[in-house]
Amino acid sequence: MAGRPRIVPGVLASFEQIDAATDAIKALRAGGHKDLVVYCSHPNHELEEALETPVSPVRLFTLIGGLTGVTAATGMTVWMNLDWPTLVGGKAIAAIPAFVAIMFELTVLIGALASVVGVIFLVMLGTRRGIMYDPRFSDDRIGVFVPAAADGALALERLFRDAGAVEVRHAAA
Amino acid sequence: MAVLAQEPVINQTHADVTRDVVATLGKPSTGYVLLFFGAVGLFLVGALTLLILIKDGLGHAGYQPPVFWSVYITTFVFWIGIGHAGTLISAILYLFRSPWRTAVYRSTEVMTVFAVMTAALFPIIHIGRQWLFYWLLPYPNQRYLWPNFKSPLLWDVCAITTYFTVSATFLVYGLVPDVAAVRDRVGGWRKLLYKFASAGWSGTNNQWRHYSRAYLYLAALATPLVLSVHSVVSWDFASALVPGWHGTIFAPYFVAGAIYSGIGMVLTLVIPLRRALKLEHMITEYHFDNLAKLTLLTGSILFYAYGMEYFISWYSGNTFEQTTFWRRAFGPYWWAGWSMIICNAFVSQLFWFRKIRVNPTALFVISIFINIGMWFERFVIIVSSLQNDYLPWAWDQLNPTWADWGILAGSFGWFGMWFMLFARTFPIVAIQEIKEMIPLPRKRGAH
Amino acid sequence: MADEDKTPSTIDRRRFLTVLGVSGAGAAVLSGCSTDRVQKLIPYLVQSEDQIPGVATWYASTCTECAAGCGLHVKTREGRAIKLEGNPEHPVNRGKLCSRGQAALQGLYNPGRLKGPMARTAAGGFQDITWDDAIQRLSTKLAAAGGKVAVISGAGRGTFSDLLAEWTAALGGRVVRYQPFDHEPLRAANKAVFGRDELPAHDFAKAQYILSFGADFLETWLAPVENQRGFAQSHGFHDGRMARHVAFAPRMSLTGQNADEWHAIRPGSEAALALALANLLVTEHGAAAGPLAASLAGATPEAAAKESGLPVETIRRIAKELAAARPSLAVAGGIGSQHRGAVEACAAVAILNWVAGNIGQTVLFGADLDTGDGAAGVDALGSALDAGQVAVLLVHEANPLYALPASVGFAARFGKAGFKVSTSLYLDETAAQCDLLLPGHHALERWDDARPRAGVTGLMQPVMEPVFPTMATGDVLLKTAQKVGGPLAGFTAPTYEAHLKARWADFAKAQGQADAESLWRGALQRGGVYSERPAVEAKPVAGATAAYTAPAFDGPGEFYFVPHASSFLYDGRGTNKPWLLENPDPVTKITWHSWVEVHPTTAARIDVRNGEILRLTSPQGTIEAPVYIYPGLRPDVLSVPLGFGHTAYGSYARGRGVNALDLLAVKPGQPFVPYLSARVSVEKTGRYQKLASTEGNPRQLGRGIAEAMPVALAAKGLSVKEAAAAEGHPEAEVNTERELEALKGWAAEVQARTRKGDYAGEHPQWGMTIDLAKCTGCSACVTACYAENNIPTVGEDEIHRGREMTWMRIERYWEGADPASPKGGAVEARFVPMPCQHCANAPCEPVCPVYAAYHTVDGLNGQIYNRCVGTRYCANNCPYKVRYFNWYKYNEHAWPEPLNLQLNPDVTVRARGVMEKCTFCIQRIRGAQHHARLEGRPLKDGEFTTACAQACPSDAILFGDLHDPESRVHQSSQDHRGYHVLEEINTRPAITYLAKVTSRTEA
Repeated sequence: MAGRPRIVPGVLASFEQIDAATDAIKALRAGGHKDLVVYCSHPNHELEEALETPVSPVRLFTLIGGLTGVTAATGMTVWMNLDWPTLVGGKAIAAIPAFVAIMFELTVLIGALASVVGVIFLVMLGTRRGIMYDPRFSDDRIGVFVPAAADGALALERLFRDAGAVEVRHAAA
Repeated sequence: MAVLAQEPVINQTHADVTRDVVATLGKPSTGYVLLFFGAVGLFLVGALTLLILIKDGLGHAGYQPPVFWSVYITTFVFWIGIGHAGTLISAILYLFRSPWRTAVYRSTEVMTVFAVMTAALFPIIHIGRQWLFYWLLPYPNQRYLWPNFKSPLLWDVCAITTYFTVSATFLVYGLVPDVAAVRDRVGGWRKLLYKFASAGWSGTNNQWRHYSRAYLYLAALATPLVLSVHSVVSWDFASALVPGWHGTIFAPYFVAGAIYSGIGMVLTLVIPLRRALKLEHMITEYHFDNLAKLTLLTGSILFYAYGMEYFISWYSGNTFEQTTFWRRAFGPYWWAGWSMIICNAFVSQLFWFRKIRVNPTALFVISIFINIGMWFERFVIIVSSLQNDYLPWAWDQLNPTWADWGILAGSFGWFGMWFMLFARTFPIVAIQEIKEMIPLPRKRGAH
Repeated sequence: MADEDKTPSTIDRRRFLTVLGVSGAGAAVLSGCSTDRVQKLIPYLVQSEDQIPGVATWYASTCTECAAGCGLHVKTREGRAIKLEGNPEHPVNRGKLCSRGQAALQGLYNPGRLKGPMARTAAGGFQDITWDDAIQRLSTKLAAAGGKVAVISGAGRGTFSDLLAEWTAALGGRVVRYQPFDHEPLRAANKAVFGRDELPAHDFAKAQYILSFGADFLETWLAPVENQRGFAQSHGFHDGRMARHVAFAPRMSLTGQNADEWHAIRPGSEAALALALANLLVTEHGAAAGPLAASLAGATPEAAAKESGLPVETIRRIAKELAAARPSLAVAGGIGSQHRGAVEACAAVAILNWVAGNIGQTVLFGADLDTGDGAAGVDALGSALDAGQVAVLLVHEANPLYALPASVGFAARFGKAGFKVSTSLYLDETAAQCDLLLPGHHALERWDDARPRAGVTGLMQPVMEPVFPTMATGDVLLKTAQKVGGPLAGFTAPTYEAHLKARWADFAKAQGQADAESLWRGALQRGGVYSERPAVEAKPVAGATAAYTAPAFDGPGEFYFVPHASSFLYDGRGTNKPWLLENPDPVTKITWHSWVEVHPTTAARIDVRNGEILRLTSPQGTIEAPVYIYPGLRPDVLSVPLGFGHTAYGSYARGRGVNALDLLAVKPGQPFVPYLSARVSVEKTGRYQKLASTEGNPRQLGRGIAEAMPVALAAKGLSVKEAAAAEGHPEAEVNTERELEALKGWAAEVQARTRKGDYAGEHPQWGMTIDLAKCTGCSACVTACYAENNIPTVGEDEIHRGREMTWMRIERYWEGADPASPKGGAVEARFVPMPCQHCANAPCEPVCPVYAAYHTVDGLNGQIYNRCVGTRYCANNCPYKVRYFNWYKYNEHAWPEPLNLQLNPDVTVRARGVMEKCTFCIQRIRGAQHHARLEGRPLKDGEFTTACAQACPSDAILFGDLHDPESRVHQSSQDHRGYHVLEEINTRPAITYLAKVTSRTEA
């Protein structure tokens, strides 16, 4: 991508108390601000509830990956045995029971890799660039960012202060 | 696992956690550096031995037909087994939501990855023409020949590559948010390193949403993997018809043994590490207690398995089995047979006493016994079964040589080298998961 | 022979035609040879019409490894001899060959061979000289010798020996023909009893009852291959019966291990026993004593029992059985029983044969087996040396300085010769003491003939260009004759070949053959001229008698010292051949070094264990060797193999083991060397040497590996299981009938799913049967396998680590008493040749990750070396443990030049890190199939066979297509004695063993 992306204008509040953050989020959502960016150092259920986060669709990747794995394994083992039939130990040429282990392993392998790919894909899809960040969010602060034009910024700052934000910063275009 | 599900007591703030863990990445002590180079030295011994083997042939090792597999395969199974505890704790206990895993799972995962990495070398080291190991992989080649998927060795190749890939992915995946935390605490060239490693993690709600979900699925996939990998390894033996190998009990027996040995190794590693990195307040006797209980459980399963093996060999009335097990107990390698039973079946029973379960020194000593015992278990199963199979005329006894010990030592060096390197570079305790368990302050006070 | 009509000869038409007369390779001019020619792939100057690269050419020749004179077929490829097989037409060995004979190749290509003439320097060393110079030096010495010329020659009867005799006589000198194993006592005895100074032939095939009084007729006694063939025919189970073999000897040799009864008699007591038996035949079983009655009178079984330590009733029983069986055969006079009373023993046995009516039946006079002048001849020469009557001494194909005990003092007398010349191919002990070395050609490089017995004239032809610029001694004689002139002027033949042809022209006349050339060509193709043995009536001479007197033993020691002749090393000439050193000794399974056999009881008493080095001391000297605890001995006997302890004779032989002869006290003037004449005392050294043994656990542990049944039950046509049940110890049933049915169904169903790709349709199913009733454990098959399949010898150190590569392995299990138990007790040896079983459900195949082990369409268990990565899983999973791994680069160490020239170009030399095993000689299978296809005909049964089956002197091994209901192997696999080893694990081997049949009278 070319150079630094444009800064997204908006207000960034940091909280030390979890309920303060959730109050702010609820208030914002009530106020019609749906696209919030909430920073936290760990996955937090209260925040998720406040944000009413829907379940991630990443499971589809896992499922499809797993199915691909088992199909690939079955196809590979059977075809490769029939491609050049070689008799060993008087066993059937395509002896399915012997291949079960392979099928299982490939299911897990491709399933797992697909999930990770899925996450990377989905996260990149949902990430907006140029949003303010504060290193303390990876420590003990919770951050809430609302994109807003300069005129609405003050109202938002008040809302945050009321909720119990310890710090509010503005990002201007 | 109800027994294990007690709330941990961590009276610390998120800030403390971040600080303490990041502190572990500071400048290492002289002792640590010496230990590290000791490991590198061992690794070099192994590397030299391997070069000689490749130059002259496997003859230097103590192979004595009919013992065509010995120390190398023993050590291979040993390391694979070690890995299992890691995945068990990080994946299975995650699904069981047992809180005590949090403080230790990162170190066990690291152990898993490097143990499997070590084990994966052995199938290559032990074959007669090491430089042709890739012939076991199914790739289109001018030989117009695919590998034989009916061979348990192919199952092995599959299982080990899968296991390594998945557990490595799992480790790196879990590491990302913590690396981000470190990134925000350090400066200079290290910042660049962590910036790269954290892949732009900022902990937004969108990231956590997909992240935590996928973590669940990874755990769910890794769980059957724990059971499958060592089952597959055990089938290398169970599906052969060597008396002493050819048993249906092998898969569960091996899995239990693997976890048992793995936890042994966890204790061996974590107890000194905790001291070295000053994490006593995070890895507490509560964790040891639970680890010890798990050891007791798996150890008792082994106890049963050993008993059952002997019983069945007698009960089957099969003369080949009977001879094998008789010689396992009273044959030329009787001492190996007994050290396996004592170190595994009996020593683990000490954990019925809480005093021992929570005493780090006792735990450490016992864990060493466990490691030795489990290495000998594999040695006994492989060697003393091969030494006396169907044709008495072909019987002979193994005499290990410097080449065997050289590679064994090298494998420990190789493992230790990577583990110590990691412990100083990345958070060995999962920051974000510990934080998850520490309630954040509230304006309306804790509910 | 009797079975020729039953079984088609193992030679096929194609091969017969390729057994060629004209030899393009060998006839090349001798002058101007140079070793660098050895480097050339096809080493002849002019391509000869019978040499096609890639196609084997066969030549007929004659074996010179012992006096028996077996016929050879020499397989050559690209002008190199690569394998020796027996000549099926030859009356002595009928297409079979022993290990020693096959190993002659390693004599031909031995790294220890001298690479040209050499002369002793003032400094005492040797320097290379040219042949012209060498001939010149010899001629000068001979011219100056003034008749004081003597020759010691180990050459067999034949044109060369005649020439040598005439040549020496012309010079006014004397020739002594000397073979260490000359069987002088047997000749002396026959002279005394029948007035015939000869070694008769013996027909073991005809004998119904065989008594061996210490004669190791399966190892070194007279014509071992012929003996074994006959023995297998009569003693093997046939038409519901078999001959019984009773052996009397203080040590259980291979012959003893193949006896139905082995009686450990006191050394030297054979005569008493034989006379007592003869006496019993006369007094109780109405045999006619004729003129011998007198000498039998005193020989009571009681006296014999006292002398031999046998129970009287046993002696009576044996006499009874002997009387009932006609014809029978009693043999005596082996090296292991050559004590001071050996002549009497042989005489007594001759009398027993006469009384039992075997003379002319199984003991055939008139055959006049070839033999030398014996120790007496050498002793006479010794006196001549003492008297300074030998200015020039020529030693040819003899090594007296090794083969005669030091105590004879021949070395000192030898030194008194003015000028000593050796024609030995190797720098052996005798050659090392000579002044001029004129290395001769190997028997496979030269023209010659041999008359091993009346009615057999074998021909030898050069099958290839000489490996080194050596010269046939015949040509040396003729060339010197031309140089010396004078008395030798009569020898005008330009070359020895010409001389030989001239003599054969005379021979043709004598035979009444007008066309000498056709006789010559016929002989070249058939390997010689064979006619009926002149029948000779032999009767005891008037006053023939034999009395038993206990022979004297030297020394106060508490143990009898019994040196035994190893069937591989023979008189010590085998010790420079790695095949014979690595191929485990058939009796003890020890390789590469000497050992001393100690009875378990004795071992317990003097408290020694296997491998503990024991010092044996006789008045004459001491030797030290590791203990091997062996139940096949009398407790008061210690036994050590002959043939070790060379001080020269090439890198393989030098300094290997100890020379048992050092303990013998033999004064000059003995008519023969009494090998069994010393008593020794033992002393523990406290040192140990791990035995380089291939013996694992010698007990079957009831696993039914080497099955056997009494002849009575076998005659009823019982199977192994039924026989076991009949004897009251039924084998545990592994599966019920219903289970077996189910298994069959399952197998058929799986079979159906294997018929894909190449596997669809009809294919042969190669299989083998091995008749344990015939197998004597002689291990000729093992040597054949080494030769055919380029199997590397790994050496003593690797054998210590159990890494021998013997694709074909002879397992020797002990039945009866525990062989290690101090209590002793009767033991029975059972041999099981164990090659790859080529299982239909081969456990080794499915475990190979890269299909290096797989099943071929014709039922072979294929092993693809260049596909193998060396996981060794197959070897772990093989219940028969017949897979062998290349732990080191054996291929780079096993064949020091020029041994590598022997390698079979049809077989891959395996690299380090790959698994190998018996292939059922796939190169022979495919070769035969190709030829059949070229000639547009189906493959015939018996048209070809594997190397082991081809070599087996007992004809115990059959190979062929199991799918062909007409094939011999198919029919034999249906035999009621047939069983598979480890049948219960359902590997379905392609090898069917036919249970051994034992003929024992309990009590």
